[in-house]
Amino acid sequence: MNGRRILLGFAAVTATLIAASGFFDSGKGRQGVDVVAFGQLPAQEGGRIKPIDSLARNALLMIRSKQTVRADGRTLSATEWLLDTMFRPQLADTYPIFVVDDPDVLGLMGMPQTAERYYSFDRLRNHTSKVQAQASAARRVDAKQRTRFQSAVVQLFDRMYLYYRIKHTLQIEGGAGLADELARAHTQAGQERAQAIAELAYFRVLPSTGKGDWRNVGEGMMALHAGMPQPVLEHYAALQKAYVAGDATAFAAACTKVLDAGHRADAEAVGVAGHELQFNRAQPFYNGMVLYVVALLLLFASWAYKPETLRPLAYVLLIAGLIVHTGGLVSRTIVQGRPPVTNLYSSAVFVGWGAALLGAVLERMYRNGFGAVVAAASGFVSLIVAHHLAADGDTMEMMRAVLDSNFWLATHVITITIGYSGTFVAGAIAAGWAIRRHALRNPDPQASKSLASMTYGIQCFSLLFSFAGTVLGGIWADQSWGRFWGWDPKENGALLIVLWIAILMHARWGGYVRERGLMAMSIAGMAITAFSWFGVNMLGVGLHSYGFTDKAFSALAGFMGLCVLLLGLCLAPPRFRVVRTLAAGLSFQNGAATPHG
Amino acid sequence: MSNQPEKSIAVALLDALTSLKLAIVLLALLMVLVLACTLAQVDLGTHGAVERYMRSWLVWWRPDGASSSIPVLPGGTPVGGLLIVNLSAAQIRKLQLNWRKAGLWLIHIGLILLVAGEFVSAMLQVDARLTFEEGHSANYVERTRQYEVAVVDTSDPKFDDEFGIPESLLRDGATLTIPKTPLQVKVVAYMRNSELRNRADKDPKSNATAGVGPEITVQGLPPVTADDAQDTPSAYIDVLAGGSSKGVFLLSAGISAVQGFSHGGRTYRLDLRLRREYLPYSLTLKDFSHDVYPGTDIPKNFSSLVRLLHPERGEDRTVLIYMNQPLRYEGRTFYQASFGKNDTMSVLQVVQNPGWLMPYVSCTLVTLGLLIHFGLSLGRLQRRQVRTATAVGAT
Repeated sequence: MNGRRILLGFAAVTATLIAASGFFDSGKGRQGVDVVAFGQLPAQEGGRIKPIDSLARNALLMIRSKQTVRADGRTLSATEWLLDTMFRPQLADTYPIFVVDDPDVLGLMGMPQTAERYYSFDRLRNHTSKVQAQASAARRVDAKQRTRFQSAVVQLFDRMYLYYRIKHTLQIEGGAGLADELARAHTQAGQERAQAIAELAYFRVLPSTGKGDWRNVGEGMMALHAGMPQPVLEHYAALQKAYVAGDATAFAAACTKVLDAGHRADAEAVGVAGHELQFNRAQPFYNGMVLYVVALLLLFASWAYKPETLRPLAYVLLIAGLIVHTGGLVSRTIVQGRPPVTNLYSSAVFVGWGAALLGAVLERMYRNGFGAVVAAASGFVSLIVAHHLAADGDTMEMMRAVLDSNFWLATHVITITIGYSGTFVAGAIAAGWAIRRHALRNPDPQASKSLASMTYGIQCFSLLFSFAGTVLGGIWADQSWGRFWGWDPKENGALLIVLWIAILMHARWGGYVRERGLMAMSIAGMAITAFSWFGVNMLGVGLHSYGFTDKAFSALAGFMGLCVLLLGLCLAPPRFRVVRTLAAGLSFQNGAATPHG
Repeated sequence: MSNQPEKSIAVALLDALTSLKLAIVLLALLMVLVLACTLAQVDLGTHGAVERYMRSWLVWWRPDGASSSIPVLPGGTPVGGLLIVNLSAAQIRKLQLNWRKAGLWLIHIGLILLVAGEFVSAMLQVDARLTFEEGHSANYVERTRQYEVAVVDTSDPKFDDEFGIPESLLRDGATLTIPKTPLQVKVVAYMRNSELRNRADKDPKSNATAGVGPEITVQGLPPVTADDAQDTPSAYIDVLAGGSSKGVFLLSAGISAVQGFSHGGRTYRLDLRLRREYLPYSLTLKDFSHDVYPGTDIPKNFSSLVRLLHPERGEDRTVLIYMNQPLRYEGRTFYQASFGKNDTMSVLQVVQNPGWLMPYVSCTLVTLGLLIHFGLSLGRLQRRQVRTATAVGAT
């Protein structure tokens, strides 16, 4: 017993280490410069105030599809990459950050396709005008009609332009730095340069008191010219000088001054940006994903080896994953000041959370290991999906006017996504049931029955939430544009889920389907939910057509294929028994045949 | 009773109508229709797809290269209608009135209300728009997708006397008498959708003999289905005043020139326009605002500050209409829908729907019903488990 306690303690410590892994990085850059302190500074971009760390991560995600860069034989954080891009552009131009994998785009630049996917700006520099010409030609074609080459060339140009804007956020590239720009601000030429920065700057660093618009560096220089002192500009000039000189002390001092000025101007928004930095560093959804997958592997292992020891270990990791996942959701809600689901990305995080929680509750009720597998698997898969959906940039973008209603986001959207969680959990149990009856030699009919009762219970739960969520959506539509039901694709998708579960319930009550039918319909229910959740967005029509991606299409097609496969497994007669019956039949023919029951 | 060897046809029909099998088949058909309607929206637009699959008796399909269409599926109308009959009849016939079935009663009554509410909306809902600019007032709304020919007596500078002929009466060859005037109009031809261009020399002679019509060539077109497209209806109208013709006018939603005639000392204007409905009150747009999030073009808010003036009731107040916050007044609901002219013009969607409350009631009933029903089932399941457990413990 004592050994078991030690093992559990070990599991708890491992879980804590994984959960806290984001904070182990010292956050120091070249010559000990405190990069995290810079990442904490507030800036306004995309309509909200956020830490520069978020902005850097999202920019790098948009350009490189990753949050870090490998260069100089070490890994640079997004913030350090941003610092280099803004203050040491010649160095940053050598970093391989642009993903180019379309052969035609490479061909345009006269490069053969190789295993290399990432190109530095230095390598693309001479082809800028060709890329720009092709991109502006392609842009005249409607986004949905573009060929692969056209989409790729537009994407590359957008990335290069974003990079160009970042370089011109705090100074003009090739100039003598911000201090020099400020010294010249009062001249005619200086004002022209200020105008250029004002137009190109990617984000705004000069805080305004109250809730107003912040200013970017160019606008600040013009205000300076008009006689309004801009102390934060001076701090940024000092910060830049210190960074280029590698003076860690002066850099930290300048960061503190900028942060203090931000606090004085808008303590609340800057405080929230500080939380966001901690949230970014903690990476709760990434760490949660790791915890879930370890728990899942332990559960699989427990089927073959020492179940009494491995299963409790898996539980500890699963609970840790759920705690981290929950913590992440709560922080996001606080930082954004919104209910947890605001876009496709956050819906994936939330559906996964709901499914993991449901699985954990089932495990607590039935204690057969099945709920735990479902919880860990759905938590893991949904966080992977969310991770891929995050590649478009800021996942906390501002809500368009019609969606700007915390009440309806909290009721309709949350309810309907909980319904999604339910259909996925039911589908996952059904999938497990289908695999189990082929894998096990003598499946216990009692266990099979209890799986069916779990599935049925979860489907009741899903019907309740899907129906309420669908009708609440109609009521929201009635409130915002005067019609309850408009046959919009997303509404239809939600209706399909409700109808499917209704058919399932009636068919079961009528005795038209039994255990196997219930399971098969639950697997199909997963496919229907996936269509309603992601598929209808890909049609590109209607009021909910947000978040379209090509990659998502192949992922969805893959998932549908998997559902068809599982459906086949579910409906096929148990294979082993077929083989054995055949063998038995043969032996009967050989010997004296007895009637086979 | 049902054990009798030969059931009467009525009973057999009733059995079929109230059967669970029929319910399942209908639900499945509805799923197919909903899916088809969703996918078809890519090509047809929402309005077109809904007309074809949901608001139809039969869904027609024309195989490639075939000259005629064949019906392949029942449309949304019969499926929805039968579902409601099945649901109501089965509910009354089969379900007992006892507390264990209370949840099912609530669910099914709620669903009947929901579908009934949709039928009420489909039949009675009236959609219109109200467009006004800052500082201007409006006392009428314009119906969406419905047109009228208007004969307006403009003789009195203080007010206009208007008479609108709705589209449904504009049948080719019809002659209509305008009440309280010596006028009659004869519809020479009406086109639901058309294309106008300046008449070229080689074009055939125009049917029109008065107004700007003789200079214009009109080509009839099929009505549009896409959601953002609009028809341009046109009509040739022969105006008869006191028995003699004032000429054939070409009226069209695509013509902005003012056309008219005089008769008996009075001047009249002719117009083909979106059908108007006058309100006993007026709305004045005091201010329209359109905010974006700083540094982006993501809209944060649209709002219209409106003065509502209803002289008969002595009402004069200011209301703010914005997203998710419509004005409900005298059976009409005004929603912020659109804007234009550099943020100085506002467009309100105006909806009259006597059934608007039904989904709210229905949603509450069904949700409550599902909670009760599943709650009771869960309770029974747990009692059974406890019983099994004690039974196992006893042995």
